[in-house]
Amino acid sequence: MNRGGWIVLAVSLIVIACAVTLWPGGHRAPGGSARSPAPGAQASLAALPQPSKGFAIPRPRLLRDRAGVTRWAPVLEAAEARERPTRSSPGVVRVGTQTPEGTTNLVVVIGEAVRHGVTWVHARLAVLPDARTGWLPRSVLGGWQFVMTHLVINRARETLTLLRAGRVVFRTRVGVGKPSTPTPAGQFYIRDRLTRYASPEYGPLAFGTSARSPYETDWPAGGFIGIHGTDQPGLIPGQVSHGCIRLRNPAIRALGRLLPIGTPVTIT
Amino acid sequence: MSVNRPPTATATLGQSLFDVDGALSETAGRLPTRGQFIRRGGRRLAAGAVGGAGLALGIGFVPGSAHARSEREDLAILNFALALEYLQASFYTEAERVGALHGPLAQQARVVGSHERAHVAALRAVLGRQAIARPRFDFRGTTDDPKSFRATAVALEDLSVGAYKEQLPRINSDHYLAAAVAIQSVEGRHAAWIRRLAGIVPAVNAFDEPVSDRRTVQLVNATRFVTLKVPHTSSKRSPSFTG
Repeated sequence: MNRGGWIVLAVSLIVIACAVTLWPGGHRAPGGSARSPAPGAQASLAALPQPSKGFAIPRPRLLRDRAGVTRWAPVLEAAEARERPTRSSPGVVRVGTQTPEGTTNLVVVIGEAVRHGVTWVHARLAVLPDARTGWLPRSVLGGWQFVMTHLVINRARETLTLLRAGRVVFRTRVGVGKPSTPTPAGQFYIRDRLTRYASPEYGPLAFGTSARSPYETDWPAGGFIGIHGTDQPGLIPGQVSHGCIRLRNPAIRALGRLLPIGTPVTIT
Repeated sequence: MSVNRPPTATATLGQSLFDVDGALSETAGRLPTRGQFIRRGGRRLAAGAVGGAGLALGIGFVPGSAHARSEREDLAILNFALALEYLQASFYTEAERVGALHGPLAQQARVVGSHERAHVAALRAVLGRQAIARPRFDFRGTTDDPKSFRATAVALEDLSVGAYKEQLPRINSDHYLAAAVAIQSVEGRHAAWIRRLAGIVPAVNAFDEPVSDRRTVQLVNATRFVTLKVPHTSSKRSPSFTG
């Protein structure tokens, strides 16, 4: 080979080496392997390694049946709850943005309706008489939240049972209202969770519910029913309270790990 | 839209997506900039010219610091993708939970929702502790009726396809790239599916345009789907219950 031929060969080798380096895939990436040059995008994609085990895309899972799912939303603007889903309908009660405990007020949704282009939400209300419902404009509520839990309190058996997706996950004996101040029966929901307060009679943890006692309306904040611990565990189970549901302290702590806000409560 | 709330996603998404708490812009801030991307291309060019002979001898050369930087950039891109996947997965999950959809639209939400949740699980698994937290969403009524759902789903899927397209060439790791390509093509199928259901041509152009991370953040912000209004449901106040 003459001198000119060697020069042409050397330049050709450099060009080929550069082409190999610059080919999308020629760059050895961290955690990856160098891709072989291929004559097209398809071949280049085909040459990609399989995603590593650390990046395996799992099998898509469908949601469970909607049955047993409860929807709730925070109240962002105070509004009048109506008897029917129209602005001209009589008011039931003014729903505020805060609970007596200073937490965000919330409502549990039991239906929806659209009237004249406005979406209305049928919600359970924390008012007397218990189990009242009303219609609120969707616009005053925040984003939907969902729970798959349901709390059932049986006054006659003095038991509290928590279900998740229809299955019992927790059960304990409880104290319920005395015959003179019975725990109200009906459909309610968990509104808030109080901890680290300095009231030993309520134990270490208390949940606020939407239930109100018709017998204790002069109680501070109007006589709302709570689910809480106690400093008198020897009284449980029994008909011992002013309407609240009392649990022994280990039981309320255990419930506290399982019970989300917005959980519907059925008291029978 | 049947909800009398301020116009959001459906109005703005169609033209042009979240970030009240900074989740998306935070991840976008860690992405390699276009300048860095171009400079890296320059470095590849230089390394190619200098390392050509080395390559011919089968010697790979990746400096340690460049290795770490590439990994950081890849993780930033994956977190950016995770933010978008959170948004989509939460949207479809809520739509299915609300139960306002029926027929083919309900089927689309059911299947696509399962895909988006799988994408979230995959990205969270690879990111581990570095994965951003799931923001709280308020979809502002767009999951409450079929018409609003459809319009929003079209916008979200179109955006997802464009956002992935912008980020794919920036991924350094071949393994991450392979996974991202696998996700992006599925997002393209989702976009075509919902466009078909919406009566829109599934594929309008021969070439898709990428959507920059900055534009993506702007569009998500415009929806106001990410909310700072987290319900305050816990308190240290002494109970006033009847006892």
